[in-house]
Amino acid sequence: MFKKEIINFAKKEIVPRVQEHDLKKQFDYESFRKLGEFGILGLHFPEELGGSDADVITTVMAGEALGEAGVDGGLTLAYGAHTFLCADTIYSHGTEEQRKKYIPKLASGEWIGCMGLTEPDAGSDVASMKSTAEKKGDKYILNGQKIFITNGPIADVSVIYAKTDPEQQHAGISAFIVEKDTPGFKSGPNLIKMGVSTSQTSELFMDNCEIPAENLLGKEGEGFNMSMQTVEWDRSALLAPFVGASTYMLKRCADYAKKREQFGRPIGKFQAMKHRLADIRIFGEAARALVYRIAYCKDQGRPLNHLEAAVAKLFVGDWSMAPANDAMILHGGYGYCHEYDMERIMRDSRLAPIGGGTSDIQKMIISKLM
Amino acid sequence: MNYDFSEKEFTFFTDLHNLMETLSKEADLENDNGGDNVMLALNKLAGTPYLKLALGEDGELNGLLTLMGAMEVVGAFSPSMLLAIEMSTRVFGRIVSSFGDDALKERLLPPILEGRLLGSVAVSEASMNVVNEPLKTEGKTDGDKVVLNGRKQYVVNAPLADWIAVIGVMDEKPAVFMVEKGTSGLFIEDKMPMLGYDGVAVSGIRLDNCAIDSSNVMGPFDKPTIIDSVKMWENQVLIGAGLGLMKAAFESARDYAKAHKSGGKPIIAYQEVGFKLAEMLTLFQTSQLFSYRAAWAADDNPKDADSFTLSAKVFITESAEKVAGCALQIMGGFGYREGNSAERAFRCSKYLQIAGTSTEISRVKIGDAAMGIR
Repeated sequence: MFKKEIINFAKKEIVPRVQEHDLKKQFDYESFRKLGEFGILGLHFPEELGGSDADVITTVMAGEALGEAGVDGGLTLAYGAHTFLCADTIYSHGTEEQRKKYIPKLASGEWIGCMGLTEPDAGSDVASMKSTAEKKGDKYILNGQKIFITNGPIADVSVIYAKTDPEQQHAGISAFIVEKDTPGFKSGPNLIKMGVSTSQTSELFMDNCEIPAENLLGKEGEGFNMSMQTVEWDRSALLAPFVGASTYMLKRCADYAKKREQFGRPIGKFQAMKHRLADIRIFGEAARALVYRIAYCKDQGRPLNHLEAAVAKLFVGDWSMAPANDAMILHGGYGYCHEYDMERIMRDSRLAPIGGGTSDIQKMIISKLM
Repeated sequence: MNYDFSEKEFTFFTDLHNLMETLSKEADLENDNGGDNVMLALNKLAGTPYLKLALGEDGELNGLLTLMGAMEVVGAFSPSMLLAIEMSTRVFGRIVSSFGDDALKERLLPPILEGRLLGSVAVSEASMNVVNEPLKTEGKTDGDKVVLNGRKQYVVNAPLADWIAVIGVMDEKPAVFMVEKGTSGLFIEDKMPMLGYDGVAVSGIRLDNCAIDSSNVMGPFDKPTIIDSVKMWENQVLIGAGLGLMKAAFESARDYAKAHKSGGKPIIAYQEVGFKLAEMLTLFQTSQLFSYRAAWAADDNPKDADSFTLSAKVFITESAEKVAGCALQIMGGFGYREGNSAERAFRCSKYLQIAGTSTEISRVKIGDAAMGIR
């Protein structure tokens, strides 16, 4: 019922604008605001902070529903970066004051959030981070550069990771809240990407960026662990739209295969088309099991099993392109054209094995932990 | 869906592991040994809740869901024993349990659950195809007898079975004919040599004016439910068999990669090997979850259970071949030797994609379901 409500909402309020924004590579502020109004952006936060107290499974279901409705990967990525990488980090590690100041505005969509972790020379190798935060009196002075930051150009508030102790590896990393328009803090232009085009991605620059010491999240040196905790969301809620998208593709392809006629009969009568439909379904069911397992374990209060999380990411990452490709080919020439959204879904799916830790990184993790 | 096994289930799996470990030392389970080995295994398993899963009262275990985990354990030790036992207990047994009358259940279920009876199910015929399944094996009433004529192919356990459940038609409707070993007119062909499953006795059977008592007939049924049910049960067994093959192949390759050194370090340290193992484990874990979801769907959502089971079967049986193939590659010459679990898994995996509802027909049916065609 809950899932159906979100699907109906998204189909009515968001999906009609998806293709236009994708073509123009523009962020859809109106859709984002509507996600906030509907309660999706803050679903798992407490009611007193503007949320709905939802559990993780419900939150994942919401992400799946957006994908199933046909919402583009750009908007779901923006939602994920905003809610889970930024807002949840503030909620999970912030003080009461920080929570009260930021979570209601982020949950409603009044403010947009982002997270700055990756650097030009420090991707999955987080310990190589060069950005620094030097404490001077009641201020921190941030210097450095971030890259591939989802929502970077449009964010009102950012969670920025920087080293308070550059001599240390992971233990030297701390997290800070940085607001838009802070002197010395600016974003680069939107990076034009192959897919997830409606999400805005940029570099972030910190040039003697001065922030109040109270903007430190948690304690100095806790940043790495905070970033690792976002992995739970990354491997569940952020993957959920890919699961939903497979259901969307399956329905669209099934409808098309029943209507489109060649050689005097619907193409759905041909076995090769049925095989493509089957492979889309198989991916969706397998991926759903993996993603919901991570959510279930988080709901049970268990510490993240990093091996299982990497397995989920590797599977969804490496396998999600094949059904998107199947869906596009099933639609033939129409599938290749922007008018039909299959080509957009295929481009969006290409991010899956790259974003949030590449498939190769997942394989490194799995082979070390097995 | 609950993504956990309970403590009781984990304990059961451990007990099962220990039992199979002991059993595999007592006998070469990949050799049917004239039926002695499968009866030995059945006898030992009867002392555990294993045979009762999805068939009888299994205490605090969870029927089909527990069975998926249990089949993985048994199948990892011996693919052949798993297939022989499951085709008897779960497929033959569930036919009796689901479609038999009280008298038949009373006669056949206790020996099945006590591991004293080996059953077999004969479905496949040369005339069967994708579009429909026109069974030619037919039973005709003759007084208080039913006379059977027809031929079945690829019948698992046929050369050893005490009873064979023959799926055929009667009055142009599906029916099951229970034929006891030694019945006049039942001819069992020679055991077929196969690529894999060395310890499973598979053969064709011929029914030539084979007269059985009418009390041994189930049906005729108005709907072809019986065939759909048998196929689904068989597919569930093949899913469990796939898990077992993957477990054996993956664990062998992983252990080998940790122990075998090249260039002064264990070969798992090389990304070529470590990444391959990561892909194998990903397929294995995904398969496990997929099987549990399919089992859960079969119990909870029968309407969607068929295409769900087929989806799981396609994924898991294809994954089994991939995992076994990768394991062979990682273990090099060591894995290629006869008797190595990867080599065995690789040979057996092909059977899983052919048997039950084949991979190709499964995809057709899944595609049909997606388009609302049932």
